[in-house]
Order: sequence, then C-alpha cells, then structure tokens
Amino acid sequence: MTTVHPVARRASYTRVLVHVLVACALLAASAGRAAAQDEGIAVGSAAPAVTVPALDGTPVDLARYIGKKPVLIEFWATWCTSCQAMMPRLTAMHERFGGEVEFIGINVTISETREGVAAYVKEHAPPFLTLYDEAGEGARAYNPPATSFIVIADRSGRIVYTGAGGTQNLEPALLAVTGRASPTNGKE
Amino acid sequence: MRIHYRLMGAAALFAVVATPLSAQAQKGPPTAVVVSGPEPGAKAPDFRLPWATKDSIGSVADDFVLRNARGKTVVLAFYPADFTSGCTAELKAFTDRYDELFGEGVEVVGISTDSLETHRRFAASLGAPFKLLSDPSQRVARTYGSKGDTNARRTVYVIDPSGTITYRDMRFGALDPRAYDALQKAVREARGG
Repeated sequence: MTTVHPVARRASYTRVLVHVLVACALLAASAGRAAAQDEGIAVGSAAPAVTVPALDGTPVDLARYIGKKPVLIEFWATWCTSCQAMMPRLTAMHERFGGEVEFIGINVTISETREGVAAYVKEHAPPFLTLYDEAGEGARAYNPPATSFIVIADRSGRIVYTGAGGTQNLEPALLAVTGRASPTNGKE
Repeated sequence: MRIHYRLMGAAALFAVVATPLSAQAQKGPPTAVVVSGPEPGAKAPDFRLPWATKDSIGSVADDFVLRNARGKTVVLAFYPADFTSGCTAELKAFTDRYDELFGEGVEVVGISTDSLETHRRFAASLGAPFKLLSDPSQRVARTYGSKGDTNARRTVYVIDPSGTITYRDMRFGALDPRAYDALQKAVREARGG
C-alpha cells in the first residue's frame, strides 16, 4: 500500500476540482447557446452594428444609428400576420417617439422578392427605414426566432427589449430609452 | 477523502447553479439543452411516426418509416410548432422553393410535437408538398438531439440514399438565407452531384 504525502494529495484534489469546474463551465456555456436558439439576441447585450442593404441595394451601416440614438429594429416579412398586426402599434409608437428613436424594419427576405417588398412598402408605408437582408447579415447577428421579432436598444446601444408576436407593448421600453416618465406603467 | 467529497460537492453545486443561469441570461424560462444526436457519417437511426399532408392524414398502417425511404435522399426538419412565425418562415421557404432546394426523388419531412389535424391544417395553409410527422413525446427528436423543453428545437438532417447522415444543422436559422443555401448544397451532394 502506498502512502501519499498530504501536500501531493491536496494538489491532486485541486486538479480534480479544476477539471470538474471546467467541464461544468463548458456544459453551462453549451446550454446557454442551445437555449438561445429560439430566443434571439439577449437583453443586456450590445446591439450589433451590422451592414444591411436598403431596398435599392445601397449598404446601410447600422453604426450610423446604434450607439448614437435609441433604435427600434423589427425583423419582418410581407406574409407575416404578426407583423401586420403590429403595424398599427408601430405607427402609433413612431408618431410619439419617431423624433428621438430610429425605427428600422429589416425584411428577412425569406419567401420574398425585392420587387414584392418594394410594392408592399409603397402600398402600406410602414413607419420605418426598410432594409432587405438578402445575405442574412442581420439575421445572423440578431438571431431572430421569428418574424415580428423586435429589438429596442438605448442610446448607448444596449438592448433593453426583445419580443415577438402581434400584441407587443413597446411603450414602456420606448419611454425608458427616451428618458420619459411612464404614464401607463407598462400596462395596456 | 473528506476534502475530496467537499470538492466534488462544490462542483456539483456549481453545475446545478451555473447551467440554468447561463440559460436565463438569454431571457425567458431556464432551459438547458446539450447538443447531441447522430453526426454526419453515422447511420440515421430508424424511426416510425404518423403523418399528415395538406390533403390527408395517414392511416395507422401507413406510418412513415425511415428505413422504407432507403434509395432516396431524406431531409428531416425538426421544428418547434405549427403556425408560429419562425416555423412558417422555414416551411414556407421549403414549399416555395421546393424544386430549387430539394428536387425530385427527395423525401422531405417536417417533425414537431403538433397533432396530425394541426399538421394537416398547417400544411394546407402553406400548400406544403411534403409530409409533417407528429412526435408528441419528442421520442424521435431526442434520438436526433433535437429535443427541447416542450417543443423540438429547429434542426435539419440530410440523409443520403444509403441511409447515412451526410449533413446536419443543429441551429437551423429559419430567417437566415444562407442556411437555405447550405441545405440546398448538402442535398445536392447527398443526391450525388
């Protein structure tokens, strides 16, 4: 039977602990990535300043807005019923906050054509700058889980709100990023 | 030895605490999913599931059996739920670009936890020219590393005519045009050119 010096044994235990902790950290990081799949970019992270073309193909660098003023970005499609349901709300929010917040609509281009989106924009006049994400730069940066995914970032570029669906209440987040008091306390 | 148990206990506590924290940081309820499932080069695990199309619901005797599709290229598309906008985007793209993405001789199947009747209505709403399989217990999703908390995660597998997995995307980006380009390329390669 061999005896192990207490110092050597302690070093061995420390090595075991380090290995186990590293394995746990890797597991935790893996779980976080997997969980993020259908949730989109996280609240609290920095809004990526990617470049996405406008409808006419002109590159639009979002750094022009992000980190300089509050920004609202919706990932949308002409066929998306939730996006259509959100349109009146977005229009109302744009009327109240459009002077201080940049409203940007990134068309996801899935099952779309540039001409079709242009015709839709001409007919419906959505209250945002329309971008056409045909290379998927915006989609890969923001990981939208669904069309109608809306991201609101404050003046520093930090994301304060994400959500999806046709009944999103954007007012509290827009009041917060514009520094106004909330008259409704976030309730509709 | 007592120290050893203390160290292991601390590590176990860290594992319990750290995993949900990392998921919560992404917003929403805590979820912890470790990516697994068969990798490219492996034989695709066989399974049997009931199906619906835009026109009908398959009979019990006519379940989809993966091994019966040998000789064809098969695309398995696990997705969270019918009638949600991310899944609508994905399956609408599959429908609208079916010939371009897949072509003749390719068997495409969507798989979620939805019922066959919901599948039939969803497929009809899209005009989808492929089957939607019902996997309510996520038994097959688990086999393919695509099981989520309550719904399947969005993943795609391509299986060649010999039954070998040739491609998988364990985080298929339904709103990323390049995800479809990569899938198209993978299907073309699985078909042999």
